[in-house]
Amino acid sequence: MDPVLSVRDLSVDLTLPGRERTILDGIGFDVAPREIVGVVGASGAGKTVLSRAVVNWITAPLAIRSGSVSFRGKDLLGLPPRAMRRLRRDIAYVGADPMGALDPTLPVGRQIVEKLRAVMPEVSRQEARERVIALLDAVRIPSAHARFHDYPSQFSGGMMQRALIVDAMVSNPALLVADNVTQPLDVTVAAQVIRLMRELTERFETAILFVSSSLPVAREAASRTLVIDAGRLVEEQPTEALIAAPRHAYTRDLVAQIPVIWGTGPTMPAAPKTPTPKPPAPADAIVSLRGVSQTYRVKKRGSFAGTSELRAVRNVTFDIVKGDSFAVVGESGCGKSTLMRLLSRLERPSAGSVLCEGRDIADLSGSELLGFRRKLQLVLQDPFNSLPPRTGIGAMLEAPLRTHGWRDPKKIRERVRAVMDDVGLPVALYDDLPLGLSAGQRQRVNVARAMVLEPEILLMDETLSALDQTEQFKLLALFDKLQRTHGLTYIYISHDLAMVRKACNRIAVMYLGEVVELADNERLFFDPGHPYTRALLSAMPALEARRYRPEDCLMEGEPPSPIDLPQGCAFRSRCPQAFEACATLPPLLTVRGARDLAACHRVPGAGAALLAGAA
Amino acid sequence: MDAVESSLALAPPRVDVAASRSVGRRILAHAARSGGFRIGAAGLALLVLAAALYPELSGIDPTKMDIRARLLPPLFLGDKWSWAHPLGTDQIGRDMLVRCLVGLRYSLLIGVASVAVTVVIGCALGTVAGYFGGRTDTVIMRITDAQLSIPMIILAIAVLGADRPTIPAIILVLGLSNWPVYARVMRSVVMAERGREYVRAAQVSGATHPRIILTLLVPLLVPPLLFTSVLDVARMMIFESTLGFLGLGVQPPTPTFGSIIADGRKYLLNAWWIATMPGVFLCLTLTSINLIGAAFERARNTIHGGA
Amino acid sequence: MFVLSFLARRLAQGAVIIFLVSLLIFTLLRVMSGNPVRQMVGGMAPDSLVEQIATQMGLRDPIIVQFGRYAAGVVQGDLGRSFVRPANGAATGGANFDDLTRGARAGVGDLILDALPMTLQLAGLALAIALVFSALLGIAAGLRPGGVFDRLAFAVSSVFISIPNFWLGIVLALLLSVKLGWLPAIGYGGFSYTVLPALVLAVELSPVLIRTLSSAVAAQMSEAYVAVGHVRGLSRPRIVAAHALRNASVPLLNLLGVQFSSLLGGVIIVEYIFDYPGLGLLTINAVLQRDFPLIQGIAIVTSAIFVLINILVDLAATTIDPRLEY
Repeated sequence: MDPVLSVRDLSVDLTLPGRERTILDGIGFDVAPREIVGVVGASGAGKTVLSRAVVNWITAPLAIRSGSVSFRGKDLLGLPPRAMRRLRRDIAYVGADPMGALDPTLPVGRQIVEKLRAVMPEVSRQEARERVIALLDAVRIPSAHARFHDYPSQFSGGMMQRALIVDAMVSNPALLVADNVTQPLDVTVAAQVIRLMRELTERFETAILFVSSSLPVAREAASRTLVIDAGRLVEEQPTEALIAAPRHAYTRDLVAQIPVIWGTGPTMPAAPKTPTPKPPAPADAIVSLRGVSQTYRVKKRGSFAGTSELRAVRNVTFDIVKGDSFAVVGESGCGKSTLMRLLSRLERPSAGSVLCEGRDIADLSGSELLGFRRKLQLVLQDPFNSLPPRTGIGAMLEAPLRTHGWRDPKKIRERVRAVMDDVGLPVALYDDLPLGLSAGQRQRVNVARAMVLEPEILLMDETLSALDQTEQFKLLALFDKLQRTHGLTYIYISHDLAMVRKACNRIAVMYLGEVVELADNERLFFDPGHPYTRALLSAMPALEARRYRPEDCLMEGEPPSPIDLPQGCAFRSRCPQAFEACATLPPLLTVRGARDLAACHRVPGAGAALLAGAA
Repeated sequence: MDAVESSLALAPPRVDVAASRSVGRRILAHAARSGGFRIGAAGLALLVLAAALYPELSGIDPTKMDIRARLLPPLFLGDKWSWAHPLGTDQIGRDMLVRCLVGLRYSLLIGVASVAVTVVIGCALGTVAGYFGGRTDTVIMRITDAQLSIPMIILAIAVLGADRPTIPAIILVLGLSNWPVYARVMRSVVMAERGREYVRAAQVSGATHPRIILTLLVPLLVPPLLFTSVLDVARMMIFESTLGFLGLGVQPPTPTFGSIIADGRKYLLNAWWIATMPGVFLCLTLTSINLIGAAFERARNTIHGGA
Repeated sequence: MFVLSFLARRLAQGAVIIFLVSLLIFTLLRVMSGNPVRQMVGGMAPDSLVEQIATQMGLRDPIIVQFGRYAAGVVQGDLGRSFVRPANGAATGGANFDDLTRGARAGVGDLILDALPMTLQLAGLALAIALVFSALLGIAAGLRPGGVFDRLAFAVSSVFISIPNFWLGIVLALLLSVKLGWLPAIGYGGFSYTVLPALVLAVELSPVLIRTLSSAVAAQMSEAYVAVGHVRGLSRPRIVAAHALRNASVPLLNLLGVQFSSLLGGVIIVEYIFDYPGLGLLTINAVLQRDFPLIQGIAIVTSAIFVLINILVDLAATTIDPRLEY
């Protein structure tokens, strides 16, 4: 069969004065009709440039040096704009930024109709409309008729990505270029989108070039995978063969760095800590949450002075034991960031209390509050936003000390040097600005700023999520070392289950503001008690054989809004195991074994608790 | 992230504020490369130099009358011009050039000083409103709305019309008339910055609100604003000349652009230069300042990625 | 429904603004200003008479009492009576102090209503000229940043913003009216008298419009949806006309709302220069004559117009961009 796309000897240069370099170097490959071909590489490897070259979207300062991109035997790169525009019907593109891809001021449906009629003028307005609604329905956008008239800002990221897939597929293209489409999405939503794309290739006979920075994600979608490193195509194999027997050294590293979740092989750098032998007595608890809730009042759309309640965190209770590496995991909107703000006393809870060594931190003020601040420090998420601009690294690290009453410049300097050494920052950087630092080094500055006060608890707010796999490795090793030498307690707030598997001993899973499961590491990954945890595990991109299949664990759809919480169990709308009781009664956290808890009516013994609660 | 990849990503590249060595210096360097800035800077330097030196060096008193030399036209225009009065004389024989240059001194002084007043008040109130939000914000924003709804010229003439206006009174009135604009801008940038993570980090390390405002936010956010305030110096100078024109500016015999133009208006038909020359001077000065200010503004927008 | 609750909220806010404005002006005038009665009765009148009239008019009561009395009148639609102007005919300033009775003086509301249409005509024409001119130049500049039109727009706005309106008025009157005789300049005797003042105002307004439009268009053209639009198969004219300009009009609308008071400030000066019988001329005369009730009335009316214009602007902006919530 003739390939639908064939790329030959494609080279692209950056022509920015003073920064000239080669981005893509002699790339060549074919895509057959109906085939899904994966393209994998690190950020900066040139994947995005490749996907743009394929749709003939190379603009200054990039320039094509050589090569061809042939679609059905016709080279696209030399085509005049008008001819290229006619081909847009057959070559579609979906990018990584669903929210920016459409005009924010016009309804989504109308814009898809506009695109359809631009590439297929023979379609009547009415026909186009019907086709778009039918497709919105086909990608399982609920009540497609009504959503047709909604604006982009009224779509969630996952819904918008589906709408853009509709936009791409509406003209029935022969080739779809999908550039990192799942990157901004939560894992459970990403899994649904990938499933959808596979279905669509079968239905519309479309070939897909599936570009992704994650090999496990590409594996979900693609039957054949290309690996790109520094602008060169280093390997091309059927996906399973590539994972089983990578030939190129870069691919071997890539495969080796993917964290192992279930198998316990030598690839795992730090084995999960064994659970503490004895069950915790409350006396060990360094931080305790007691029925903590946080409710925000948000303005009700279009009302005179009405507000609605957004219940971001609901009735959360758990203890964190000294020396723990405790994780709070969940997807966007689950309330974990609010929980972070409550734990660090950036906000006070609307109900319940956060205790630190038995004291309610909401009551602290003055020097007591300062004392608490010294004890608990925050390491932030974004390596670029979290450092104050225009401040030297040393000065940045001195600031907390000065806040806490240190006055002697010599002692301050000494302490800052010590902490820089501790986190592996060269002391020579003392007077430098964070200008040239890599993301990993910036995160080290963040850690140092938290460590400089010698805290006992570090709150890690998605600290590693902006880093590459390799950098994550190094920082996790550093955290491990710091924990051993300083006796620290860690609280990780994260969406990344693989990282949590590696670094934490105890894990709380949050869904819609509630803790739905609280368990030790091994138990959570091997014997989860809550269907949501199983859904998360099933959707996690991995290279191993899965213990849980998304088809069994996850229904279509997205979490309900925290403003209109459903009655009964919050997860019920997406739970494949829901039954009548779930619709009416909210499940309580029920003990499973010695010290693990899950909030599900299916947990053995939950019925008893339910009865006890009713009595 | 790799620089190339990020600059190509669909989303506009995120501004790495932390990477800015000194925002002020970068704006200056960026602006200095534009042709408009160079023309403006050269023009302004020339005018300021002339205003500073010429009146004393020439030894001509701007208020000295000379009936024999009244209504002389500028050089080469008309038939009885004189080298002693390059821009001619007015209805009572005062030298136009010296009068314009002295007017320029007052105009610049009042313009700069009133902008300083504006910036201080506007930034202070805007910072407080943006940082603390809630009721404080509502109250301050209602007051700015109220003031923005009355043309400042009405306020100014209502106040200055009371007495013979003094220079400090003029500066104060002009300064008070424009602060809501600064308050609004400052409020929005402070609001955006307050949500940034490094502010949160400072808070968690125990820093108090005044400390965060004074050590983190003000040094970061005010300097870029100062660059655009150059444009307001020009606006205030126009405003000052308007007041002078209405007879509410610095009082005679001190010459100001506005009062000279107002006087010259009566002689428009037979001595057009009296009303036109100060205007030309004022326009040249303002164009220079505006070229500089616009170059600053463009530089700031490029560096901050719009907004 | 949404629109109604929006209107209710904004009108309530507007009432607060108008209240604050009138309080501010009222206090300012009472505290800072000279003696209006002296101006009313003229320099020759004896002090005792001045004092007597002042007490009669309630000018010796505490400010808060005076304000309460005034506000009560305003709520009932009575803006008071001019200190200076007689009900019939021109403002004379009142050298004749004995026949100056309350009934003979003109109502503030009537004075404003007479002048307002003239000013609306002037402001409307000025705005139309400025918008057409700025749109042509600003959009062309924004579509090609760094191009010829961008430079031209930059130069034009830099020069225009540097010209004081009163001086431009004088120079244009000298050139176009006196020397060339193309347009009438002073006073009002038909629509042609509006053109010259409107031109001066348009020159004053356009620099900000040009710059806002060009930077808004340029910003929209660098948005992701524009680049993606090409890849989706939309033509450039379609992207520009149907999407970029639509989005760029929102900042322009907001600007118009904010610029209202500077437009009015310009109107005052320009009407004074051209002796154009509108609200501006009325204002400046009222201020120069210390005619407190008239100044207050004008301030209230203008701030009410400001509030209304801003509500309209926000309504329009929300219709274009639904993300801007009501």
